[in-house]
Amino acid sequence: MQSNKESLRKIADELAILKDTSELMIDLAYSSLLLNSRELAEEVQMLEERVDKLHSEFELLVMSSGFKPEESTDFLGLMRLGEGIERMADAAARIAEVVLRGLEPHSVLRLVIEEAKETVIRVRVSRRSSLAERTLREAQIPEQTGMWILAIRRDEKWLRPKPEMVIKAKDVLIASGYAEGEEDLKKLASRQT
Amino acid sequence: MVKPKKIEYRPITVRDALTEMKDLSEVMIDLAYSAALMHNHELTEEVLELEERVDYLAYMLNMNIMLAARSAEDAEALVGISTVAAATNEISDAAADIASLVIQEIGIHPIVREAFEKMEEKLTREEVKSTSILRKKSLGELELAARIGIDIIAIRRGKRWIIDPSEDETIIEGDMLIARGAPLGIEKLRALASGMMKELE
Repeated sequence: MQSNKESLRKIADELAILKDTSELMIDLAYSSLLLNSRELAEEVQMLEERVDKLHSEFELLVMSSGFKPEESTDFLGLMRLGEGIERMADAAARIAEVVLRGLEPHSVLRLVIEEAKETVIRVRVSRRSSLAERTLREAQIPEQTGMWILAIRRDEKWLRPKPEMVIKAKDVLIASGYAEGEEDLKKLASRQT
Repeated sequence: MVKPKKIEYRPITVRDALTEMKDLSEVMIDLAYSAALMHNHELTEEVLELEERVDYLAYMLNMNIMLAARSAEDAEALVGISTVAAATNEISDAAADIASLVIQEIGIHPIVREAFEKMEEKLTREEVKSTSILRKKSLGELELAARIGIDIIAIRRGKRWIIDPSEDETIIEGDMLIARGAPLGIEKLRALASGMMKELE
């Protein structure tokens, strides 16, 4: 029984990662269209490969968790949930593919994404910025700039923002919000205020 | 099972159709996870209703794209839009399938559900009753985020959906509020919407 509980906790963790990654992919995929950014689009493709791997691992975890026959529908639910998440990740990859195929994103697409998300920008956090070494909660970026952090790029990794996550110097922040907030965020990221 | 409705052409701009599809699909993702994890039939119904709307918009968008293309260049310019629209539709389909687990009586293992509930803020759906003090007040006036830590992510008013409502949006009787927040805030919202709680500190 103990081992069952342990494996279930692991399943929950994996599921959370899958869910987070797929949502990050959707955000980045639309952003790649808006910015016509191959770099972002390629990132989405790399994340898609990671999701495929994670999804297989997740399915193996579920199947090898040693559930009892009467628990089988509960475990079927987990498998189906994983499958849904995987499909969303696939769809995000297909959106990014439009950019990678060199189809100039139609002006309508930009309008749609701009309208829905206002604008998307990326800024690098300088060492002198007051944001460095603060958690996202402490940094109060939305309160100060009206911009929302969609994703954080740290070295080669993309992270989905969480309130307790600590911002590091050299992080690249992808943010969306009203155009007026753009300058404020750039200032905040570049130097001490 | 919902019987698919007959689709008839209606002129709608490609931009409007895709904007709405994108907004709706994003709300559907949130609602679908909540529906499945809380095993909530009402949230599932909302997701399925939204899914039907997204499907309808996808048909309208495709028809309008077909009419817009007059040359190979047009087709090349427009194929990106139809690809994105198809992917957005697929996201909403996947969300609908996740929500449908509830109808099929397929559960999510309780321990996994618990683990998720701890991590995630909860989503709820509350109907505004005739005795509620929320009636006739705008979201800007109510300041629910500051006062009770609740974010209204959508309002369903009859057949119409207001996604990401603005500050000037005024709540009326019968509105279905889709809101996100911590459990305590959700309790307060429920009491306010049902008319049980008469004051908002």
